[in-house]
Amino acid sequence: MTFIPSLFSLILTLIPMTSTVDPSSRPFVDVTDAAALQEATRVLAEEVKVAARPQTYVLIDLPANTILLKGRGIELHRIPIKHWSTSDQHELVMTFRLKERPPVARRKIDPSISPEQEPISLADMPTAYSLQFTPALTITLDSYGQASLWGMAAHFVRQWWRLVIKWWRAIWTEANSAVAPELDLTVSVDDAQSLAWMLTDGMPVLIRRPIH
Amino acid sequence: MKQAIQTLYPGLISLVLLLTLAQSSGLSSPDASAAPPKPTDPATLRQLQGRYYSLSRQLAQLMPGQPYILVDTARNHLYIRHRDRVMLDALASTGSGTILDKPGEAQSQWVFDTPRGEFFVQSKLTNPVWVKPDWAFIAEGLAVPKNQAERMEPGVLGEYALGFGKGYFIHGTLYTRLLGKNVTHGCIRLNDEDLKSVYRLAKVGTPIMIF
Repeated sequence: MTFIPSLFSLILTLIPMTSTVDPSSRPFVDVTDAAALQEATRVLAEEVKVAARPQTYVLIDLPANTILLKGRGIELHRIPIKHWSTSDQHELVMTFRLKERPPVARRKIDPSISPEQEPISLADMPTAYSLQFTPALTITLDSYGQASLWGMAAHFVRQWWRLVIKWWRAIWTEANSAVAPELDLTVSVDDAQSLAWMLTDGMPVLIRRPIH
Repeated sequence: MKQAIQTLYPGLISLVLLLTLAQSSGLSSPDASAAPPKPTDPATLRQLQGRYYSLSRQLAQLMPGQPYILVDTARNHLYIRHRDRVMLDALASTGSGTILDKPGEAQSQWVFDTPRGEFFVQSKLTNPVWVKPDWAFIAEGLAVPKNQAERMEPGVLGEYALGFGKGYFIHGTLYTRLLGKNVTHGCIRLNDEDLKSVYRLAKVGTPIMIF
């Protein structure tokens, strides 16, 4: 058990290194940069198709570290990303559709007791979850609050565990076998719950990738 | 041996954590093969710029030119926006998210959510009368009446109601103390003053974005 103090001191030492995202950063496209322009144009072309239909959709803007909920091209809600990583970013080039929103524990009305039941709220939403899409894509949402040391420790343990699973898969899976792309996102606890609340089954998701 | 393991263990954990953080921070350099080819030809660049501006215009044309209604069901707020301007910010009540079993139908339930997505104002009513659906009686432990007249309840929806499909309305409420909470069966409740503003500003066809 001698490693526990060193583990926590290491986590505390590394925390400032992980705060790499400027929350005020805005999407920016350098129109003189052909590669950036090509990527922005690809996403715009997809967005025009998606926004033409009466629906809300999500745009994950990785260069701007932002998740945007949009409808008809209008920004409805904005969530800053604390960290992200992806296994295979050249696969993230299409419109993905969410298979199922994160499960919610709903309260049942019992007429024999009282018609008034405690409603669900943001606090009932999960803070860490995995989303499956068609075509195949897995987005893992994780969160931690700066104020909660325990929450941060739990977040790093989950990160570490996912990495172990990935290594395990990489070792035991043949190099040529098709593996669905994965995108790991870390946001604040409130934002993870907020995103779980606003997602709907079949919701389209677009991803803008970094170029440089 | 045991001592050696105890010495190595923190180092191993540190290494794993460092690798985890390096991966999770997004700082790891992107796969170079993932980046699209980098054309340097000025003509190609101009062509790309032209397509980018054209698509930007197409997207802008999809945005509503008229005021639209935006509802945040998590925070229970209704906004009327016109382009970047907020014309109204009203405290609302939206769906409770609770469920109620349908009697006599196994595995079938009512889910009291406010629907999310994009909708349109389909109807504008003055002095609406609530026609109580089956669930309103069942939730109170009452028998569902056979006579339609027994379902009519005037005065509980306020002076106006704006329908946006499948029986969902933006309407008034007697329970103004519950504004700001998720307490409804899916409709969106407002106080009298805000309801009047929404009725005045919205037309049939006004977009309603709910998230």
